[in-house]
Amino acid sequence: MRDVRNTIVGAVLVFAAYYLGLVIVNVSYLPIPGPLMGLFLLLAMLFVFPQLEVHTARFVTFPLKHMPLLFIPAVLGVSIYWADIQTNALAIAIAIILTTSISLGVTAWFAQYLFNSKSGGDSEVASKKVERK
Amino acid sequence: MKEALYQTFSLTGLLWLSVSIIGYIMALWVNKKCKGHPLAHPIVVTTLVVSIGLSLTDTSVIEYQQSASLLHWLLGPITVALALPIYRQWNKLKHYGWRLMVSIAFGGILAPFTAWLTLFALDAPYAIQITMLAKSITTPLAMESSALVGGIPALAAVFVIVTGVVGAIVATGMFAILNVQNRQAQGIAMGTVAHAIGTAKAIQMGEDVAAMATLGLCVNGIFTALALPVIFGFFV
Repeated sequence: MRDVRNTIVGAVLVFAAYYLGLVIVNVSYLPIPGPLMGLFLLLAMLFVFPQLEVHTARFVTFPLKHMPLLFIPAVLGVSIYWADIQTNALAIAIAIILTTSISLGVTAWFAQYLFNSKSGGDSEVASKKVERK
Repeated sequence: MKEALYQTFSLTGLLWLSVSIIGYIMALWVNKKCKGHPLAHPIVVTTLVVSIGLSLTDTSVIEYQQSASLLHWLLGPITVALALPIYRQWNKLKHYGWRLMVSIAFGGILAPFTAWLTLFALDAPYAIQITMLAKSITTPLAMESSALVGGIPALAAVFVIVTGVVGAIVATGMFAILNVQNRQAQGIAMGTVAHAIGTAKAIQMGEDVAAMATLGLCVNGIFTALALPVIFGFFV
């Protein structure tokens, strides 16, 4: 019963942050996505009221884990642009495959360089449970 | 949202929603069978199943998108939910401080810039160039921000997913070539450059790698989504 209540409270929090974010972005003409504003609102709320983490987690853990399902309509939409993709297939393939591989390697190398330069080494920080996407 | 709910409770809405969910459940099973290989990512397999369903019933993609608009609508609230993993990783963020931020910013600029440069040099259409700038961030943010700067959200979703799959496949090889043994550094690069799919791969590499990948994913997503519209506001 408490789980159900926590889930409902979590749902109210997330949707309130979402709609409030949309309203703020619409009213203020800020050039950022509305949901991102909602993310900041929810994050701020978690810092002010840490006890609400339990409720939020109850509601969002399952959908966060299964987020890929939500992308399906968008991904299928690509068939509408199929002709554009075909004409530029080579450029797009190079842009994605080559630059992603290089960026990934170079970023890791750069991060390693920065972390190793830190005196005292990178001792493991006591962290909370790893959150899955 | 009203429109999305209205569609959902129509007969075709329920039908295609069920097809999507069943396809996704099948995809999860396939992914498990393939031991989480990036090519067997649930998005890839679910898309295949739904496309087969569409062609068998002679349904157009636009009709499907209308029927399943609830799924698409939920991308907004799920973006808001990313606040939770950021909140949970906050201690790590503070612990690594500027080194972490600089690493994420480095990857967050390098990946889209080199991709854009390639398209620019090869003379691809402007809309595709712009869309490519959002390729390294998590799908909901990528779609929102590419729409804001004049890109194509549907293309952004595909670029993002292909980027993630490529990143997850080449990661181990690239780390070996460049001799990157630091597990935190590996995690940062995976999350920053290959977002959620890279993070899924990082989860298999260990909990410490996954934690850093989650941070890279969230921080770079926010940075890029904030930066793109502002930069374009100034220059375009």
